[in-house]
Amino acid sequence: MSEQTISIAQTESQRQAFARQRAAIDASARWPVLGFFTGSVVWLLIGTVLALLASIKLHSPEFLDGPSWLTFGRIRPAHLNTVAYGWASQAGIGVTLWSMARLSRTELRYPRLLMFAVLLWNIGMLVGTIGILAGEGTSIEWLEFPAFAPPFFALAFAIVTVSTMVTFSNRREPHVYVTQWYLIGAVFWFPWLYTAANLLVIYAPVSGVSQASINWWYAHNVLGLWMTPIGVGSTYYLLPKVLGRPIYSYQLSLLGFWSLALFYNWAGVHHLIGGPIPAWLITLSIVGSVMMLIPVITVAINHHMTVLGSFRQLRYSPTLRFIVFGAMSYSAVSIQGSLQSLRTINEVTHFTHYTVAHAHMGAYAFFTMIMFGSIYYIVPRLTGWEWASGGLISFHFWSTSVGVLVYFIALTFGGWYQGLDLNRADVPFMTIVRNTLPYLQIRSWAGMLMAAGHLAFAALFAMNLLHFGKQRSGPTLFFDRPDAATLTVIGDAPGRTV
Amino acid sequence: MTLAYIVIFASFVLFAVSVVFALGWAMSHGQMQNFQRGATAIFDPDEPLGTRTDSFPGSAANVVSPPERSHE
Repeated sequence: MSEQTISIAQTESQRQAFARQRAAIDASARWPVLGFFTGSVVWLLIGTVLALLASIKLHSPEFLDGPSWLTFGRIRPAHLNTVAYGWASQAGIGVTLWSMARLSRTELRYPRLLMFAVLLWNIGMLVGTIGILAGEGTSIEWLEFPAFAPPFFALAFAIVTVSTMVTFSNRREPHVYVTQWYLIGAVFWFPWLYTAANLLVIYAPVSGVSQASINWWYAHNVLGLWMTPIGVGSTYYLLPKVLGRPIYSYQLSLLGFWSLALFYNWAGVHHLIGGPIPAWLITLSIVGSVMMLIPVITVAINHHMTVLGSFRQLRYSPTLRFIVFGAMSYSAVSIQGSLQSLRTINEVTHFTHYTVAHAHMGAYAFFTMIMFGSIYYIVPRLTGWEWASGGLISFHFWSTSVGVLVYFIALTFGGWYQGLDLNRADVPFMTIVRNTLPYLQIRSWAGMLMAAGHLAFAALFAMNLLHFGKQRSGPTLFFDRPDAATLTVIGDAPGRTV
Repeated sequence: MTLAYIVIFASFVLFAVSVVFALGWAMSHGQMQNFQRGATAIFDPDEPLGTRTDSFPGSAANVVSPPERSHE
């Protein structure tokens, strides 16, 4: 046997070993990750219905104004909590568990315990949502679930954190990839924040403005230290994997993580600019918010330069299209957030629809779109079944991306004009309310577009779980790649090309 | 009220301490060296650099034999 033949045989056996290892890792993560994803899709649909009801009620208050549980004061917090904890958090946990196992090159630890966490989480969601609709909500934004719900989440969080950290500590890959840093940050920081905030606001509530300080320290960090690390971390893994090229600058990626870790926690109290709390606390928060420009710019440069030269791939890859849209939104919303924390801008935008637009740019255009892209990548690897329809994925992308952009633009302009008018003593309040109506109506139409996309996504997800339709022999792309013939067969399923 | 400020401020400090501790661990365990190796740690012989992976794999049993593979 020649040396060349031996070398090829060794390479092939090495390749097969890695393929087997990856298949074993995916098998270990299958049920818990699919469990969290299934819960997330169900709560996305429920949250969407609640969102549409709340949106319509703002410009047509007589709509479904009979039953008390359908009033705006209950529907709106129910929407916020179902999408934040039911959809976004469960999708994020699923992505975190799968990514950590993959990057550690080891099986996911405690999958059965994680299934119990799925159960706990969704029981918490159910009783919490019913509690809000029944009028038992706490009226504290982002923490509206009644006192009987948070223990379910706290216990589930503990299981997720232990599983993630034990998986990480058993890693076979010695290098800690930047995504792992982000995920460790998320599972380490957020349960801490959630528990501390619930203790001080719900179970042993402090009084007065202190409660508001904790409330907004927590609420801002839901985006900053929970959704952001998972979203950015997932992007740092999937962009290079989909494109087959490393990230542009690994140094920049690490600088981005460490600067986020140092600065984001300080940012939340800028929500209380103008409030009766110590000025130094707000100023400190503004400084932290502006310092966030450092990680944001590093991430923006890195993502852009990684994709540069491969933008054509956006035409073919569903995952890439959602991820790139989300990454661009991250840069935009973060720079907007830093500017919005400045007192001169905040005095116009505070208490207006502008803030609502900003929140949806962050939680939806950034985080949700990256979760969609991640799920499109992960689920076929867990179910062994490709997505049923590229056309339906395309519809999902265009309806949600156009929907959220229309939403953002309408409420940004509406909110800005609203803020300018609110600062003028000569404009009657009801005039300002009436002036916002067209923007609110546009928001409802945009929401319906996004809802249509969610239905398509849920249908695709259900069809995938149920192995609906014919088994496809290639990836579900938007179009056939012209260069498909030159691409590598990755091997786990005969005939599949990438 | 005082309790709240203590908790908030202590959390700020604990966050900063945890970050500095993790950074120290990363520095002392070679995580800040050989960035090229770090950037390519997510690739392996089965999904090497230059291979796009936006299709799904099946089971390990279906690994394609060498003659069926083509390389870019």
